[in-house]
Amino acid sequence: MTDVRAPETDPFDPAAEPDAPPRPGAASPAGGGFGLADWLKWAWRQLTSMRIALVLLFLLALGSVPGSMLPQANNPSAVQQYFASHPALAPWLNHLGLFNVFAAPWFAAIYLLLFASLVGCVVPRTFRLAGSARTLPPRAPRHLARLPRSAEYATPLPPAEAVEVAAGVLAGHGFRLRRADSASPEPADAGTWVSAEKGYLREAGNLLFHLALLGVLVSVALGGLFGYKADRLLVQGTTFADTASALDEFHPGRLVTAADLGPFTITLNRFDASYIASGPQRGQPSAFDAQVSYTEQPGGPARTGHLAVNRPLSIDGAKVYLIGHGYAPQFTVTDARGQVVYNAPTPFIAGPSGNLLSEGVVKVPDAQPEQLGFTGVFVPTAVDIGGTLESVFPAADNPVVSLIAYAGNLGMDNGVPQSVYQLDTGGMRRLTATPQILQPGQSLKLPGGRGTITFTGYVPWVSLAITHDPGQLPALICGIAALGGLLLSFMIRRRRVFVRARADEGGTTVQVGGLARTDASGGFEAEFASLAAELRTACQQGRHPQPEGE
Amino acid sequence: MPSPVLKALSSRVPLARALSSRALSSRAGRRTVILAAAVLTAALLAVALVATFAGGGSSGVTYLDRNDTAVLYASGHRPLAPEFSSTTLAGAPMRLSSYRGKVVVLNFWGSWCDPCRAEAPALAAVARHYQSAGVSFLGVDERDSQASAEAFIRNFGVTYPSVSDPSQVIALDFSAVVPLAGTPTTLVIDPSGRIAGAVFQSATYSELTAILTKVTGKGG
Repeated sequence: MTDVRAPETDPFDPAAEPDAPPRPGAASPAGGGFGLADWLKWAWRQLTSMRIALVLLFLLALGSVPGSMLPQANNPSAVQQYFASHPALAPWLNHLGLFNVFAAPWFAAIYLLLFASLVGCVVPRTFRLAGSARTLPPRAPRHLARLPRSAEYATPLPPAEAVEVAAGVLAGHGFRLRRADSASPEPADAGTWVSAEKGYLREAGNLLFHLALLGVLVSVALGGLFGYKADRLLVQGTTFADTASALDEFHPGRLVTAADLGPFTITLNRFDASYIASGPQRGQPSAFDAQVSYTEQPGGPARTGHLAVNRPLSIDGAKVYLIGHGYAPQFTVTDARGQVVYNAPTPFIAGPSGNLLSEGVVKVPDAQPEQLGFTGVFVPTAVDIGGTLESVFPAADNPVVSLIAYAGNLGMDNGVPQSVYQLDTGGMRRLTATPQILQPGQSLKLPGGRGTITFTGYVPWVSLAITHDPGQLPALICGIAALGGLLLSFMIRRRRVFVRARADEGGTTVQVGGLARTDASGGFEAEFASLAAELRTACQQGRHPQPEGE
Repeated sequence: MPSPVLKALSSRVPLARALSSRALSSRAGRRTVILAAAVLTAALLAVALVATFAGGGSSGVTYLDRNDTAVLYASGHRPLAPEFSSTTLAGAPMRLSSYRGKVVVLNFWGSWCDPCRAEAPALAAVARHYQSAGVSFLGVDERDSQASAEAFIRNFGVTYPSVSDPSQVIALDFSAVVPLAGTPTTLVIDPSGRIAGAVFQSATYSELTAILTKVTGKGG
């Protein structure tokens, strides 16, 4: 008979491993050497241990560091530049796969091992939990007075009937019962005790948590394999097609190629931003609205839609989010020969000073006789404060641009891709000593008859994030299920109540004992007291009471 | 001795019951669970590995350089070039199918694109060289403005026409048949309208002549 006071393992923890894992070097139980199978078993146990999982998690984080510090294969021009500037080091880094960390075999090894470790830990636990949720309560211990909670009362009923009455009460409270039966190793016991246990939902919650955890892993893997992320800046009035060469950034999952992109096109018809005009929040955005039209297939029917922050558009399995906006001032540049060599809106990027004070560059690589370049600042609502222009409001109420002109070699013709937002002035000389301020419609004549630049107006642009994550919804569902399971397993106590009756002179003495695990809220003491009182009353009435709902 | 799982399978007892409390309480049952977990994990690993390293060796493709960016497609493995009709920068209507019966070099470019500027002299030279061999050149101007594109054409002395593709829908159509990853890309289309060769980056004189020699049968 099990003594509940001194269990060999925690009687309530189904996931506790009763036996210590074998170690290499120690004599195996069979008495022979430590064979290949034992080694494999040892390695498997090590791999699925919490310690190794944590080490792997740390390695994964460590392995990602070069991926964020070195240029990666998704940005080939940056890698090329790194090769050019570090000719001795770069080939070695390349051999180690450090320019494509997230596709490197060693990185894959880390995350596959981590995945194996987690799966190997969670799956057996899940089976153990499933088993424990089906077990019957243990046999009643002999000395119930030794349990944390106990009570004793006398009744005129014979022992077997007293136990039956108690069993009826406990069953009415939703306890799972185990009675002494003829199959018991001590047949004399029959009818003298009943064990009851409640709170099995705790195990169900635990099980749900573990299964959901596996589900989260699978969902994340799904997203990593079949998902992608891309960015694109889109000027009002223009269209883009969702293809790799039209995307500013494209981060495909492991099993995604450019051919898996949904063949949709999006046109930004109009973008409106409104800002709070007064009060302490003046200048804060109050609403964004991007009116777009899109086709799911090239040449397909055009639909219209609206994009706002956190209100993405779903097209062909991908979600399109509005993640940024700004101004694209329009410039027309005429070169020394009088030919128009540039006429386009040019996206400027908001700087750190706020109120959409934006910076950008204009590159005119085909101007004659020399290439022209301009660095500029777009000020949506310009106010002259002590000789410097500042933007006092993000809406374009008094837009001006401030330009510095350069002539010379832009460095574009050697084939190394450069940023469209930066001007490499190394091969250029400055044409204007001070920044030249232009209002819409105004022109700047470049010195030496090199031509003119005209600020013709401005249009807004939006920045779109296009994401496809097939694991997102499953991950959400599994996350909620995991949380629910965790709550269940925290809030529900597993508790046991034992009843023993023995014949005494003049009647029957009934002993009741109870214990609960994780009784943090302290509710079991009261529950046991009321249960014991109810058992006593039922026995004294001598009849089976009406079951009471909990 | 057969494991509980095998016994369960042979006696058509649900697996779950074999793995239930009674089976679990024994050492054999626990071993079974560990074994099942190991098999499951190994299977997942295998799937992940196959998925990671699959997708190599597609046949019918010859790589002409070490970076795998210049390719030749063997006849029978040539993807059909998607038809497009657009307007040239000069304003004339243009359809790809009007080149049927000729070898045409289709170059995706943009005046803003630094590698396009680097390859422009080589393209112009190859265009001059293969003019007598009946090879036509057609540019597809990507994400560009009319003024900048015209300035580029004047500046580099480009003699062949270009169609305008500001929204890159032509690139989108082609990316369905070849791995068009960015601008520039140069495709060589055979007289039957199929893509016979491609350079998926800034093209060099030697890459272009190597492909054209194979496709036209005439040396560079």
